[in-house]
Amino acid sequence: MAKKILVVEDDKFLRELISQKLTKEGYDIAEATDGEKGFESVKKEKPDLVLLDLILPIIDGFEVLSRIKSDPVLAQIPVIILSNLGQKEDIEKGLKIGAADYLIKAHFTPAEIIEKIKNVLKQN
Amino acid sequence: MWPWEKAHSRLKFDISETEIINHLTDGILVLDKNGKILLANNAAEKILTIEKERVIGRTIFWLDRFIILSPHIPLFSKKKEEKEAQIRENLILKITTVPTFSENNKVGVLVILHDITKEKIIEKAKSDFLTLATHQLWTPTSAIKWSLRMLLDGEFGKLTKKQEEIVKKIYETNNREIKLVGDLLQVAKIEEGKYLSNLKLLNINELIAAVINNYQKIIKKQRLTLKFNKEAVVPNIMADEIKMRIAIENILNNSIKYTPPRGKISISVSKIDQDEVKIKISDTGIGIPKNQQNRVFTKFFRASNVIQRDTEGTGLGLYMAKNIIEAHGGEIWFESEEGKGTTFYITLPIKKRFGEFITSKFY
Repeated sequence: MAKKILVVEDDKFLRELISQKLTKEGYDIAEATDGEKGFESVKKEKPDLVLLDLILPIIDGFEVLSRIKSDPVLAQIPVIILSNLGQKEDIEKGLKIGAADYLIKAHFTPAEIIEKIKNVLKQN
Repeated sequence: MWPWEKAHSRLKFDISETEIINHLTDGILVLDKNGKILLANNAAEKILTIEKERVIGRTIFWLDRFIILSPHIPLFSKKKEEKEAQIRENLILKITTVPTFSENNKVGVLVILHDITKEKIIEKAKSDFLTLATHQLWTPTSAIKWSLRMLLDGEFGKLTKKQEEIVKKIYETNNREIKLVGDLLQVAKIEEGKYLSNLKLLNINELIAAVINNYQKIIKKQRLTLKFNKEAVVPNIMADEIKMRIAIENILNNSIKYTPPRGKISISVSKIDQDEVKIKISDTGIGIPKNQQNRVFTKFFRASNVIQRDTEGTGLGLYMAKNIIEAHGGEIWFESEEGKGTTFYITLPIKKRFGEFITSKFY
């Protein structure tokens, strides 16, 4: 059965690119365009993995991640942060709250992101 | 007896020491060895927001009910200490404490309270701005990177040879921009006040070993050999670990980039006299042309023989390294011959006491 990935990203172009790439790789895709819809989607869709941006409308990615990790049912869903916030403090914060990985968008190609996704899914 | 207890002694400037102390803009407290407040000046009164007459004779522990200072005042320390502390929501102080002695016995503590709230606010505003600017600049370049990569990988149809060539160039140019934004962020953080944070005692051998470890893969890939010679005992130095790492990495990175396969890189660390650590990073690379050597440490400079070889590179690496080394009170220089190789030298001072380090020339 195909794995389901939830993409939480407010930039339309980036969202379309990564979704296209993921679909081509054989994943099922769900999308959310802000933090609130993102958390609702995690609850509703129970994806196998979440790709989470940090700068999001309504509630930010850190808040979404905290909520996921403090929910007993959702906490085991791996979350990969995909953001252009590149400061060490942000990376540490993300990993501390419980992100499985933290990738800076500008430093990774879609293919490399897929590799990271595969690694995380394998570990789970 | 404290000097200012010689009541109203006039100096030849016709002003007493008491008046001078009262008008200093930093808060001054004089404590006895039990933390009892013997003297408080006007500025201290303002910072504490209690009249100085009320605090004289009370201890700093009594004062905690109004303003929590005691945890930041080491009553038992025998040396000068300095720390920053957030005392209230809108008050951040740099607190300097100096032990006072009478005939070799410690009799009390001089406390100097310096308000750095404004500096901290500006620091944070600058940092927030830089983070935001980097984020905003990286957002469109990420989209360009991803879509061009997918275009090159044929995901939008097959490209002709000519199309592939030009798209590849755009892709690489965009990658350069991404790196440039990242480097500018680093430079801005380093330049901003040219200050160092999180200073602690650092074992330079361990730091260099860790850096080398990260580069092992690429050293092997470039078919280079790297030798690390370290003198057995090198004293620890007070340093900002993250920045020192950046400085060493930038120099090593150059050696690796500009040394052809089967070349050699060697790093050595040694102690000079009692007060300096010397680091030497040597390569058998392409060297730096004589007529360009005086510009090596300037911003954005890249030598002509390097630009031909490798169009990437921002020209900020050595500029950053020099800033960092000099902020630590050290020196950096090099020797180079085109076609033969380059050797970079770094010296860093060893400071015996923390207090000595803080008050020395580069602060």
